[in-house]
Formats: sequence, C-alpha cells, structure tokens
Amino acid sequence: MAGEEQATEELPSGQCPVVQFDHHEHMTREQSQREWAERREQCPVAWSESHGGFWVASQYDAIAEGFRNWESFSSSRTARASGPGGDPGLNSLWIAENPMPTVLVPEELDPPAWEPYRRVLAEPLSPRAIKRDFTDSVRAHITRLIDAFIEKGECDLIHDLTSPLPAGVSLDWLGFPEEDHRRFSEAFHGISAYVTGSPEFQDIMVDVTWMVGRIEEEVRARRENPTDDAMSQLVNFEIDGEVIPQDMALGLVTLAVGGGVDTTSSASSSMLMHLHFHPEDRAALTERPELIDSFIEEVLRMYPPARTHARTVVRETELGGVTMQPGDRLLLSEVSANFDEEAFPDADWFVIDRFPNRHLTFGMGIHRCPGSHLARLQMKELLLQVLERMPDFRLKEEGLIEYHSWSSSSGYIDMPAVFTPGPRVGTTPS
Amino acid sequence: MKAIVDGSLCAGHARCVFEAPEVYELDDLGYNSTTIDPVPPGLEDKARRGADACPERAISIQE
Repeated sequence: MAGEEQATEELPSGQCPVVQFDHHEHMTREQSQREWAERREQCPVAWSESHGGFWVASQYDAIAEGFRNWESFSSSRTARASGPGGDPGLNSLWIAENPMPTVLVPEELDPPAWEPYRRVLAEPLSPRAIKRDFTDSVRAHITRLIDAFIEKGECDLIHDLTSPLPAGVSLDWLGFPEEDHRRFSEAFHGISAYVTGSPEFQDIMVDVTWMVGRIEEEVRARRENPTDDAMSQLVNFEIDGEVIPQDMALGLVTLAVGGGVDTTSSASSSMLMHLHFHPEDRAALTERPELIDSFIEEVLRMYPPARTHARTVVRETELGGVTMQPGDRLLLSEVSANFDEEAFPDADWFVIDRFPNRHLTFGMGIHRCPGSHLARLQMKELLLQVLERMPDFRLKEEGLIEYHSWSSSSGYIDMPAVFTPGPRVGTTPS
Repeated sequence: MKAIVDGSLCAGHARCVFEAPEVYELDDLGYNSTTIDPVPPGLEDKARRGADACPERAISIQE
C-alpha cells in the first residue's frame, strides 16, 4: 500500500522479493512515482500477491523485453483456456478485471491473428499518411477550438481543448457524427480518471455503456451500407477473401476510438501544464523553436499517458532474473522504464534536448502504439498554436485536479487557465 | 559505412527517418527493413544518430 513500510521476503529461488504492491489502489501521481522508484531500486522484477498474484517489471531492460517478447508474453484474453470472448481477467490493459467487454483489436491479439489487423491500421496511420491526410484537419480543429474561447481570456485546457481535439480528429476520420464527439471524449476521460468501482467510475460507466452501443450501431450500419469513411474501410476488410467477423470489426473500431482520445489529451494537457510550471522551457521554445520536437519527446517520456500494461506468460521464460511459468500474469510499466536512471541519465529532470530519448511511452515491439505518429502531430500543432495565440497562458493552480487513479493512466481531470484575450481567426464554421 | 536495419526488430517508431530522412526510408506501412550500403558520404553522423534514436535497437552501424 502506498506510503506503508514494504514487507519483503525472499522467494525460494532467493532471487526476487515478494512485495506489497497494488498499483490499482487510489493514489496520487507523487505516490505512484515513489512506488515505482522503490520497485526499480530493489530489483528488475518482483512478485506481488495482490489480485491473485502477478509479476511486476520495473526496470527498463526487463520492461522492454517484456513488451518485445510476444512469444512468451501474450496479450490475448484466451492465453489461458476459457470460453468464447476469453477471460476478462486476462486483458492487456489491467491486472484487475477490465469492465470493458470489447476485446481490443489488434492490441489483444497475438500473431498470427494479430498481423492482418495491424496492417489495416498501420497503413492509414503511417508517418507519411499522417502528414498527408491529417495535417489540415488537425490544424482546423485546433483553430476552431481556440476560437471558441480566445476572446474570453479563460478556458479549461482539458475540457475545451486537449480532450475535444483528439476526439474530433479520430471520430471525424472514422466517420462518427459530430454530436457524438464530446460525450465520447468525456466517457474516456472519466474511465481514465477514476478508481475502478468508485461512485464516480460507476457514473461514467453509464456513458461508457452508451458509447459501446453507439459504436455497435455505427459498425453495423457501415457493414450493411459502406461509405467512404475510414470506419467503412476498417470494418469491411477481407482476410483470405472473407470479410472480418463482427466482433473483430467492433474491437478494431473500439481500439481506434479509445486508443487515441484520452491518451493524446493527457499527453497534450501535461505538456501545457509543464510550460506553466517551467517558464524557462517556455522561453527556450520561443527563442529556439527548433527544440520543439525534442521538447515533445521529453514530455512524452516524463508524462506517459499509459503507465502500465499487462501480459500473460504462455511459456516458461526468464525475465529480469526470475523464472516465470505459463499462466502467470505480468505487469509492464512504461512509466517506470521512462524514469530508470540506467536508461535516462538525470531521469527525474526534464532535459529539453535529451538525446537519445528511447522512451517507452508508445510501448515497444509489435503492439507499439499505432497512433503514435498522429499523437505527435496533434501535440506539435497544438503547441505551435498555443504559443502563438495564447503565449502568456497560466493555470489557475487551485483548479488543477489530478486523476484519482494513477494505475494504468496518467492525467488531470480539470485544468483551468487564463490568458490575454485575442481575436478569433477561423473563417469557416466546421 | 553500412547501416544495417533488422526488419524483424523494427516496430515502426519512425525515429530513424525523423533524425535522418536523407538516409533512411520507410515502407507504406511505416516500417524500415532496408539496409543502407554504403551510407552516402557526408551523412555518416546522421546515420549514426538515426540508429541511436531507435527504441528497438534495430539499426546497427558497420564502419
């Protein structure tokens, strides 16, 4: 438990401590950072007895290997024998049972089933395609969002800007109508912010259930009457001459919606928060705009939206000095890897021109975030317009509220800000 | 100098082309499996930087 004395004892192998560790508990960012620092200091991999027992990887090399070695560490819900749809206790997002019924495709598939679904997402989201197909849309969304509050001199950076931006970009691309955008972004924001099972979490599950229903509706409609949007492409593609099954189509669209919304929002709002607390970095970006890309990479390292993922061991494997058995669960921590001093000198410091910066924020190996290039584009365009249109923005610190849970997601619930008002610049309503 | 790209390790992070677009190239899915032999004269530092940036350590440089 956070803040308590760690009770550790040696395993029979003598290699790895058993730790009191449950990252799913309610804790602040500071507590979570401290817990991971303790884990890292002790050993690369430990054993926690929470949630039926699981391995905790906390050092860079072990975590990177855990992500890369898909042949040993499965992402599938059917990695242990179970009925149709698999076992929700074996999801790749959480060690605890995930209340989302939809299997995420291709994130929760292993090769060979993974491969065609990855291809169909990789092509429209490749660096070249992102630059060609998304740049104008991203810029227009940002301009429209800032226009809506620029004359007022105040806004909530999350609810008015960083949350609706990726929702608008992803949902426009897929083909969801605009009236769905805000409720989708708020649903994902809530599921990331609150502790599983808490009253706030239960409230947000109403919106999540509605959203799951909307995704099903739209997927069904596109399968019956394909249009020219991305969702129609995704849900009707063929493998060996056969259109993919309905549940795979649903999983693919759910991943495309969910993967890009609150994650990109979290990284973008953390980026703006960083500029508020670090005027020296804001000044550096203004004086040396060529630092923008390395600045964004360092934001990604220090504020990873996805803090952890889970895997299931499917063959006896050694990782970080311990031997894991088929059926064991394994927690991989992007955030702990990103703060490992062995991989990042002065890891606790924000180094604006850090190089190399091989952070794990987008994961590693075959499941590397397929939307990573779109996320980078949105962060960069957002930063450019904010620095140009509201360069003196500052947070109302008393209104800054962080997520209640820092187990699998990072971020802030509210981020009110003020700035010198400016003129609207958009000419066409969207 | 050779920049040997191990396509089986590439996960499409695209950091190589970001650092050295004159040296490296991605396929239509955004992955790299093309060894550069030889690295054009004058681009050696860029090639090294692209290799260093790769989170998967998929690129090795042979002097």
